[in-house]
Amino acid sequence: MGGRDTDIVLLDENGIRCDGRKVNETRKVTIKAGVLKNANGSAYIEFGDNKILVGVYGPRDVHPKHMSDTDTGILRCRYHMAPFSVGERKNPAPSRREVEISKVIKEALEPAVMLKEFPRTAVDVFMEVLQADGGTRCAALTGASVALADAGIPMRDLVAGCAAGKAADAVILDVNNEEDQAGQADLPIGYMPNLKKITLLQLDGVLTPEEYKQCIEIGIDGCNQVYEIQKKALQDKFFASGEKQ
Amino acid sequence: MSNERKRHVIPGEVITSGPYRAEQNTIQVGDKIVSTIVGLSDVHDGSVRVIPLTGGYIPKDDDLVIGKIASHSSLSWTADINSCYVGMLPASDVFGRDYSSSSDDMNSKLTKGDLIAARIVNADMTRDPLITISGRELGKIDSGELVKISPNKVPRLIGKRGSMIQLIESSTNSQVTIGQNGLLVVSSEDSNGLLKAIQAIELIEEQAHVANLTDQVNEMLESKSE
Amino acid sequence: MSDGLIIDQLKKNQILDLLKEGKRVDGRQFDEPRKLTIDIGVIPKAEGSARARLGDTEVVAGVKVQPERPFPDTGDKGMLICTAEILPIAHPSAETGPPQPPVVELARVTDRGIRESGMLDMKQLVLEKDKSVIGVFCDNAVTDHDGNLFDACSYASTAAINACKIPKYEMQDDAPVKIEGEFTEPPITTLPVSVTMAKIDNFIIVDPTIEEWAIMDARITITTNSDGNVVALQKGGSDGFTQEELIKCSEMSIKVGSKIREIIKQSK
Repeated sequence: MGGRDTDIVLLDENGIRCDGRKVNETRKVTIKAGVLKNANGSAYIEFGDNKILVGVYGPRDVHPKHMSDTDTGILRCRYHMAPFSVGERKNPAPSRREVEISKVIKEALEPAVMLKEFPRTAVDVFMEVLQADGGTRCAALTGASVALADAGIPMRDLVAGCAAGKAADAVILDVNNEEDQAGQADLPIGYMPNLKKITLLQLDGVLTPEEYKQCIEIGIDGCNQVYEIQKKALQDKFFASGEKQ
Repeated sequence: MSNERKRHVIPGEVITSGPYRAEQNTIQVGDKIVSTIVGLSDVHDGSVRVIPLTGGYIPKDDDLVIGKIASHSSLSWTADINSCYVGMLPASDVFGRDYSSSSDDMNSKLTKGDLIAARIVNADMTRDPLITISGRELGKIDSGELVKISPNKVPRLIGKRGSMIQLIESSTNSQVTIGQNGLLVVSSEDSNGLLKAIQAIELIEEQAHVANLTDQVNEMLESKSE
Repeated sequence: MSDGLIIDQLKKNQILDLLKEGKRVDGRQFDEPRKLTIDIGVIPKAEGSARARLGDTEVVAGVKVQPERPFPDTGDKGMLICTAEILPIAHPSAETGPPQPPVVELARVTDRGIRESGMLDMKQLVLEKDKSVIGVFCDNAVTDHDGNLFDACSYASTAAINACKIPKYEMQDDAPVKIEGEFTEPPITTLPVSVTMAKIDNFIIVDPTIEEWAIMDARITITTNSDGNVVALQKGGSDGFTQEELIKCSEMSIKVGSKIREIIKQSK
């Protein structure tokens, strides 16, 4: 995490950030549901310059059998970055960072997914980062929720992701790549908007107790904005105009 | 006063609040009834359910399904029934109660890749569902074309009292065996009729949510095939 | 991996019956590939990228260009490495974990097709002989699998490399430094294009779908360059080809390949 010396002005005297945003503004987010032919559910999300493709298979049989649970379905998540997704080419083999993020996202989705409905099966969520620009885990989580809904997996709520942070001594919403590298804190959040519960929370950096509160508040606001985009993606696919019942 | 209008809902969305029973694809959260899937909410007679617009097949007792034999042991075959649960067909269903079979015998009746029309006998989710092929109109399928649609479109394909599927069968001279699991077998003596029937089925899958679907299907079936 | 696809007997019979009548399930001719669309620049931050859709098969290729130490015995040449992986989103039977033999084969065949054709003049990708050269990495990610990944990866790679930009570097104190905002065109000499044919009974069909792939007896992938020369070959499957069949296949691959080459040229 940051604090690196940089020529980039993270926040100028008018309160404008290096990419032209204000402190409480998220980047542009677009989501399309149902983009893959084979996957049971899928979503493609662009969150700023992040481009992530998510596919869901399931509920499906578990192999090897000993990994299945007689009382409940299991959720398996894989967050993976394509070699061409980052500035310096990344080795295709999973890194420890990807392994950790996969686990954190799984635990962000588990409170929402109703796995007890499908004993002895697995729901597999595969998130592929095709282009990365800071905040990929929140974007991947956001896309994963839409893909799960697209697949018809019952959920108590969607989970929306957005990061709050601190750069140039100011609390900001939706940290981009430069702010992540050179800023002071990055706080990714995953949030269930109807149940009002936070299911993903991490921190990289240092925050005072007051800044911590502000980050959570501004982060939840960001998640609520992202939720509207998730809703729209599902509405666009399933409730296309021109029909009524 | 209950809101009888069907509404589009997504997971987590509140359908209504108050003294209602939470039925299929809904849960109770406090005093609110919430949808768990993408679908159409339906409130009546004091209960709330959501009709799914997506999702796989979950076996239910007595459902007629089309299955594909995947493998066998000495006592049973397993069949892919387009579900996360695999269908179990006991050897005794085919050979009779006291039969103890060898691998050759099993293969002589049903081998990997064979298609069957079967009925779900016991859909208890703690084990794989049992299926049977002994019964009228059940058994191995020798001819016809396998078509796959989303299981939740099956009711639309059947139509009110079978009206939609009968319309397709009669105007294309074909027979359609419909599995509740979204697998169908279409057969016809007339290859053009077969093609038309499949096109009609694909149209229904795409446009299932549209109100004038029956008109669209009629139009499609009446047009000259090129 | 498609070895895991259990094709039902009805479908198998249907495919064979149609072949005997000179037809295919999707109405194509035997020597007709599926519709190919190529979009370049889909990953703007990479130095090059392309998405190839061959029927319902989809591959995204990303090109990364960065300075590397040269291989010890070729200090006067840049580096070109192509890889391929089948993402688990692409098909229900696609696995995570270390690549299985069919995926390793896919990656190596894709790499050979591009490299052996001499598509990039590697001698022009040297910054300082024996010390620093330009490395070009083309990584293919299969996002949707409906058969014939060999060709889809070949087209995505050729299109992505053809449309990539090589950053300018300056040697400062023996280390390469990137000059921001300045690029050169890649030194392209030819456009390699692979054509894969499957043999089912005695019928040979171009660009098999995943179902045709599941019942085929043998297959051959032939890569040709812009001059119509054969630059790479890979035979697979558990049956064999006769001499006549192989000659017929090479003729088809040149004919079909040149049409595909036009599509790739148009995409830039």
